[in-house]
Amino acid sequence: MQYLGIQPKRPKIAVFDFTGCEGCELQLANKEETLVDFLAAVEVVAFREVMTDAGDDYEIALIEGAISRADEEALLRQIRDRAGVVVALGTCACYGGVNRLKNTFDLGEANREVYGDKPKETSEVRAVGDVVEVDLAIPGCPVNKAEVERIVQHVVLDVAFSFPAYPVCVECKQRFNICLVDRGQLCLGPIVQAGCDAPCPTGGRGCWGCRGPARDANVPEYLSALKEKGFGEDEVRERLGFFGAFEGAVG
Amino acid sequence: MNTTIHPFDIEKLADMRAPVDFNQRNRLMPVEKNFKAQIAHITPLTDREKLFHIRILDAAERQRFTFLPGQFVMLEVPGFGEIPVSIAGDPSIRGYIELCIRKAGTVTGVLHSAQPGARVGIRGPFGTHFPMDQMVGSDVLLIAGGLGLAPLRAPIFHVTQNRPDYRNVHILYGTADPGQLLFDFEYKQWERIYGCDLRIIVERPDDGWTGQVGLITKLFDAIDVDPDDTYAIVCGPPVMFKFICNRLSDMGVPMHRIYVSLERRMHCGMGKCCRCNIGSTYTCIGGPVFDYWTVMNLKESI
Amino acid sequence: MLFKTVSKDEFEKLVGIMLESNEVVAPTRVESDVHGDPIHEYLPVESFDEIDLNYETTAHSAKTYFLPYRENLSTYTFEAGDWGQEIGYRAMPRILLGLHACDINGLLKLDKVLARDVFPSPYYVSRRQNTFVVGIDHEPCDGGFCHAVGADTVTHGFDLFLTDLGETYLVEIKSSRGYSMLGQVKTQDVSDADTQAFKAVRHRITEQFTTDLDIQDLPNLLDMEFESEVWTKWGEKCLSCGSCAMSCPTCYCYGVEERASMDWKTGSKSKRLYACTIVDFAEVSGGRNFRPDRKTRLKYRFYHQHRGFVESYDEPKCVGCNRCGRACLVGIHPAEVIGDLQREERL
Repeated sequence: MQYLGIQPKRPKIAVFDFTGCEGCELQLANKEETLVDFLAAVEVVAFREVMTDAGDDYEIALIEGAISRADEEALLRQIRDRAGVVVALGTCACYGGVNRLKNTFDLGEANREVYGDKPKETSEVRAVGDVVEVDLAIPGCPVNKAEVERIVQHVVLDVAFSFPAYPVCVECKQRFNICLVDRGQLCLGPIVQAGCDAPCPTGGRGCWGCRGPARDANVPEYLSALKEKGFGEDEVRERLGFFGAFEGAVG
Repeated sequence: MNTTIHPFDIEKLADMRAPVDFNQRNRLMPVEKNFKAQIAHITPLTDREKLFHIRILDAAERQRFTFLPGQFVMLEVPGFGEIPVSIAGDPSIRGYIELCIRKAGTVTGVLHSAQPGARVGIRGPFGTHFPMDQMVGSDVLLIAGGLGLAPLRAPIFHVTQNRPDYRNVHILYGTADPGQLLFDFEYKQWERIYGCDLRIIVERPDDGWTGQVGLITKLFDAIDVDPDDTYAIVCGPPVMFKFICNRLSDMGVPMHRIYVSLERRMHCGMGKCCRCNIGSTYTCIGGPVFDYWTVMNLKESI
Repeated sequence: MLFKTVSKDEFEKLVGIMLESNEVVAPTRVESDVHGDPIHEYLPVESFDEIDLNYETTAHSAKTYFLPYRENLSTYTFEAGDWGQEIGYRAMPRILLGLHACDINGLLKLDKVLARDVFPSPYYVSRRQNTFVVGIDHEPCDGGFCHAVGADTVTHGFDLFLTDLGETYLVEIKSSRGYSMLGQVKTQDVSDADTQAFKAVRHRITEQFTTDLDIQDLPNLLDMEFESEVWTKWGEKCLSCGSCAMSCPTCYCYGVEERASMDWKTGSKSKRLYACTIVDFAEVSGGRNFRPDRKTRLKYRFYHQHRGFVESYDEPKCVGCNRCGRACLVGIHPAEVIGDLQREERL
């Protein structure tokens, strides 16, 4: 940033994992060609995936995972009090993610199913934003490291970042893919926020909507179009509910 | 036997190798080449706006860079983006560009953190201009609301420097509150321009405000407008210029003598990206300066 | 204007010669749709066998070979308080084989905007000049309305144009490089019988156009029906997904974005083709959006296609290929929307 005379901030960052697979954290630690520069841009004070020490002095808290226990909720509130900026990292943190499927079952029954006669303390799964105020939500299952890097660049320069306003269809068409719906597959591309570069449709799998609704997504029209094309209601409901990102959008 | 298509090397063309000059709109040239420029100095104007004084670094490029009041440039911060900005500076100085910029998005955010000496890119000038030549011999109304004073400042420079060419000159300016007044350090000078009438009004006064209070249209009550021989330039948010233009039109000023400057999203400045398109008109090519009659006929223009 | 005939065997040989030292892009069958019908795309091929010249249409148009969906505009290197800008406009030669008349007309329309109007685009001109275009006649495609917008035949904008006469192709030669290329295989002069056969083919094709669409009065109609309920009806369906513009052979609008590398040593300015139906298309900084709802965005798209472009270039931007109609998952077909507007007018 020398050509602008700007000295970027080097904010202290802490990464916390709650209920999730830690895949998003792994994304941060991945991509070795830029990891050194990434770590040079920020000062990581707590990050279980890459370090053993943990500090309590941080400005930015990256929260991975959903909130599914009382102790998680308490810890999250504590983090919120300490951090200037709370970032929900990944679909679980942003929307509850796959964990949220649990909410459709009876909690006691789910507990018995998973833990048998040694039940664990558990509560309804919530997104980070349902518990504390979130300053920035970075969706994705997992998050897109290139996007996270750009967001970090914006954060250290203290300028606003904006996600693409268009849905996955744009990126998918631009990769010269044949529309999966035309081939008879269910795909949420037209209503899901882009920024991932459509890896799933490119690989032959319809979009599952991990990045949540696109801005101004026309969900009702798309759902009726899917119905007309013969996709079953259950199949569509299951797809929309998979990451918990379309709650409220499903009738 | 020749089985290959002969490559066409565009970079060998004389047009492509000749210096870039955005005033030669029909010429093939390396249109993405920007003029490297330096932020020489930054004047804070309000808590949201700063005036950036920018000098093109290369002497020959500086010499070629001329603009007319009302035109804009594409200002690029390499690595962050490019935005259209109307030129707020003096059209008589070559290669020296003043841009009044409000902190709003990524590029403007980075610019507001930039220090004097920072290096940015300039492409342009682009777009249409206020027809200052046509206005010679007539009364001129220069009207701005809010940030609209930025595009109006170049015509003010022009009128000042060519004062005998025009009859009565009125500068009318209104903002929401006194804290948003731009270029306040220049009002004393404008007041003293021979035969120039400067009037300023705010909607919400603060404790220290001693001037007029109300909407900008209120300023018309005190001035005489000769509908047969008056030109007006109106810059500001669409709601504001719509009111003023209609008021002027009601006073008998023909719509084709009222000029406005439209704001649109732009990604190229060259009539290609379509983002500023209104029906068939590219704001970057057919505008941003339009007469009000044309604006009235552009669908969705306001 | 020169005409020759070439046997299909000789033509195959010509394609072989083309493939020896050039990139050749041609219609290729890539998939089947849900009904089992073939889906084609213009893709680079390595042998004549991969090419299917009897294709009906392609999912994507060939515009990406002239206007890439994503294109680097310039590259920056940052060093010690300064930066350097590097731009490359060169393109590699390429042969585009088997374009239909509508798509060549699409290129002619892009030429008007990008090569002949103010600020010609060197990126486009470079690719256009480096692309050897071979067109081919075809039976009307399902849902296409090219004849209604005058795009079913084409008189220039290509190097060679083929009409299938059964055993042979009648070849129209439009350029010197086309002449040289064709000269590498055996050709015959056009006989009277060939001419008769050609006329018969053209007649048969023209007879098959069934879409009843009259666009004569469309520019004025669009003006008069600016507030029509037709826009609400179709606009509420629109997904704002951009698929229409992505598949359109003549949509050229774009957005520019810049990025800096994580080590702040390099940066890039790149463009991405955009769509006027996307929500932030006309949004300016500070959040003001000149076309905030789907209805006005969809209307703008039709307005630009059928009125704005006509005003600038005396012809519609649309070539009637109906790729947008096919790509639209909620069934917004241009011919139906225009038909609706015309019915509205008659009420």
